[in-house]
Amino acid sequence: MNDIIVAILRSGTPLIYVTMAGVVAQRAGIWNLGLEGLMIIGACAAIVGIVLTGSFALAMLIAIILCVLASVLLWFVIEKLKANPIIAGLGLTGLGLGGTSLAVQAIFGSQAAVTAPFGVPKLGPAFGPFGVLSIFVLAMPFAVFAMWVLLRRTRFGLRLAASGEHPFAARSVGANPSRMRLAALIIGGVLCAIGGAELAAGSLQIYAQNMTAGRGFMAFAAVIFGAAHPIGSAFAALFFSVVGALGIRAQLLFGDAVPHDLLLALPYIATVFGVWLSGKLRGGRKAATGFAELRDY
Amino acid sequence: MDNPALECRDVTVAYGSVMALSGVGIAFERGKIHAVVGQNGAGKTTFARVAAGLVRPAVGELRINGQQVKTGKVKDARAAGVELVHQSFALPPSFTVAEAMEFGSDRGAAIFTRSALQKRWAPHLKSLDVNVDPKRRVRDLPVETQQGIEIARALVADARVLILDEPTAVLSPSGIEMLFERVRKLRDRGVTVILILHKIREVLAIADTVSVLRGGRLVDGPVACAEIGAKRLAEMIVGPAVARTLASGDADAATGRGAPAAHTANHHTPADAGLVLDMRGVSTLSDAEGPALRDLSLTIKAGEIVGIAGVEGNGQRTLVRAIADLVDATHGTLAVGGVDVTAAPLARRRAAGLRVIPFERNTEGLSLSSSLWENWSARELLQSRLLSAINPARLKKRCDEALQAWGVHYATTGQQAGSLSGGNAQKVILAREVDADAKLIIAAQPTRGLDIGATAFVWQSLREARDRGCGVLLISSDLDELFDISDRVVVMLSGEVAGTFSAPYRIGAVGAAMTGVSQ
Repeated sequence: MNDIIVAILRSGTPLIYVTMAGVVAQRAGIWNLGLEGLMIIGACAAIVGIVLTGSFALAMLIAIILCVLASVLLWFVIEKLKANPIIAGLGLTGLGLGGTSLAVQAIFGSQAAVTAPFGVPKLGPAFGPFGVLSIFVLAMPFAVFAMWVLLRRTRFGLRLAASGEHPFAARSVGANPSRMRLAALIIGGVLCAIGGAELAAGSLQIYAQNMTAGRGFMAFAAVIFGAAHPIGSAFAALFFSVVGALGIRAQLLFGDAVPHDLLLALPYIATVFGVWLSGKLRGGRKAATGFAELRDY
Repeated sequence: MDNPALECRDVTVAYGSVMALSGVGIAFERGKIHAVVGQNGAGKTTFARVAAGLVRPAVGELRINGQQVKTGKVKDARAAGVELVHQSFALPPSFTVAEAMEFGSDRGAAIFTRSALQKRWAPHLKSLDVNVDPKRRVRDLPVETQQGIEIARALVADARVLILDEPTAVLSPSGIEMLFERVRKLRDRGVTVILILHKIREVLAIADTVSVLRGGRLVDGPVACAEIGAKRLAEMIVGPAVARTLASGDADAATGRGAPAAHTANHHTPADAGLVLDMRGVSTLSDAEGPALRDLSLTIKAGEIVGIAGVEGNGQRTLVRAIADLVDATHGTLAVGGVDVTAAPLARRRAAGLRVIPFERNTEGLSLSSSLWENWSARELLQSRLLSAINPARLKKRCDEALQAWGVHYATTGQQAGSLSGGNAQKVILAREVDADAKLIIAAQPTRGLDIGATAFVWQSLREARDRGCGVLLISSDLDELFDISDRVVVMLSGEVAGTFSAPYRIGAVGAAMTGVSQ
């Protein structure tokens, strides 16, 4: 049983961090489809950073700086160049996936994967069977709670939500919706760096090309499934991870009877199901935020 | 007057090539109720937004209590005590009342709990007579309450100048009374109130002074209301050139001068005229656009204008959608021009004589990025067969003739519809929807946002259509408009018919039906 929980937490933690990044952007009125790109930048920067500097702290700093810069770029393209946020987000995903491959090639020569000598610090033997997990796993519930407080129980959160839902209302009380979105994307950049680092360096200590394998989009689906509520979306992400872990388990048990590819596809099938279900449950009412710009008269 | 509460000097605002305000200088005395009036497009809302820091003028100064304030900064204007309540309210619909109060506040703890928030704002709301549970969500509240909350939100800080942008436009007559009572109390507490209005009757009922804007310029003001008559004020609003061309009833209705009940029917529908609209017991499902229709029956005879009155959001949009096949009837029958169209698609309904001037001119009425001839031709292209060829040259020529007959100002039929002004755009829709084959014309807020000349033109066109034997269904939130041109007024409340009235109209009775109070 413990090993299933460990597997779920291992795959769920990166997803939840990135989901939180999506939640904060969604609340501010940006459908962030660049999560996939930000996540791979975080993953790549963490491993490459460890290899080059030999320090986990420095590697995390590099990952955070790069993810925040990429997020600021996204903000600039959306807010200043007035690009369509969906297209800009997809562009960022392309930039992340291509840019990381290019960077690894430039630094290490033609090499699809980079291995680091160590990864994110572990919890240690004090945590018994969970000692193999990284400190980011322990921090994850606190991060989710902190996001909930920030978004739902502070004036900053209210103004952020107003910027997404009704920018004119935000402007009327003296807030600057564009700047609120910048803040949201910067917070998201930090979270994506942590999520990406956890994916690559939490247990594996390896970066491989395209290793996010659609997890950024799955995180985005969790945002929609959870109606952009921090806790709801975190549970949605956890649900996808549970399905994934059970899929791997089922593969071990019934690998002969059921096609292996089908089991690997389970989390993605669960994602599609989850998004459909969330639409059903909300009775066709629009998600927490729509295309905000339309309301800024 | 030393240290006026609010003063603008030489304020000029341009949107593209349109001058919204040019060189407006105006000062408001402290502790009074000031009205700013003008027709649509006169620059009233722009003026309010400049004063509140939402719009930065190209040139000009803003002084609050004698202190110069940076223009275009909401924060600075709010810090100096200026608050603005918007025409269509600026509260995020998903917020609870307490959250809506908090997000506009600048004081108190940055982190809160729900119950602390509710405790914090309940007394403030109560002190302003806004009786609402702070746990409720903004989107579930009636407009009067939303407006009360918005006023309460504007007063969370130490507001010294409160600007209300067309606060009466969304209210029922009794709601307007309540608002005026609230405004007088605020004045007695020392708040300077600036009301943006467009009805002379309301100005004279509430304001101490009045200022008139026309075409972005200050005509006069502030002048004491006691010193100016309704007639003179109407002339200032309309302008001497237009005043001469208007029928007197229309001028009064457009400026809200005098009591609307004064209008009497000047038209008699023949008793034996056939029904062009016959709705019997129609019910629909509710949707995001408004409440469901519940067992609604409505008939319109040929040669009759029936007005639909009601506070916005009481099913008027659903009614139009039900007639135009945008929402299905779950019960009941619907006939247009004597043909049963209960289950018929829009094309069949239009073939039976249905024409629609929709609520939203720029999104439902016209495709702004398409050319004029394409917009105009939509009527007959909808009726032609799917694979029939289009002859642009012929359509352009006929469009040219039609638009000229309707007096549209345009350069070529190939120009985009989005390049026309509001009044001209509405004329293009009229040219398309008011044709010889029309039997039932739905006119949904046909004059919203138009200046007085264009408004009078729309009214005249609808009257002419009626005199030719069309039935007209006019939906409006403006009782003056309804009373001026309707042969009969039907009041809608929560998707049902709450009363039917005929001229001479009594505003009290219609208003009571709008709010569901039995007299």
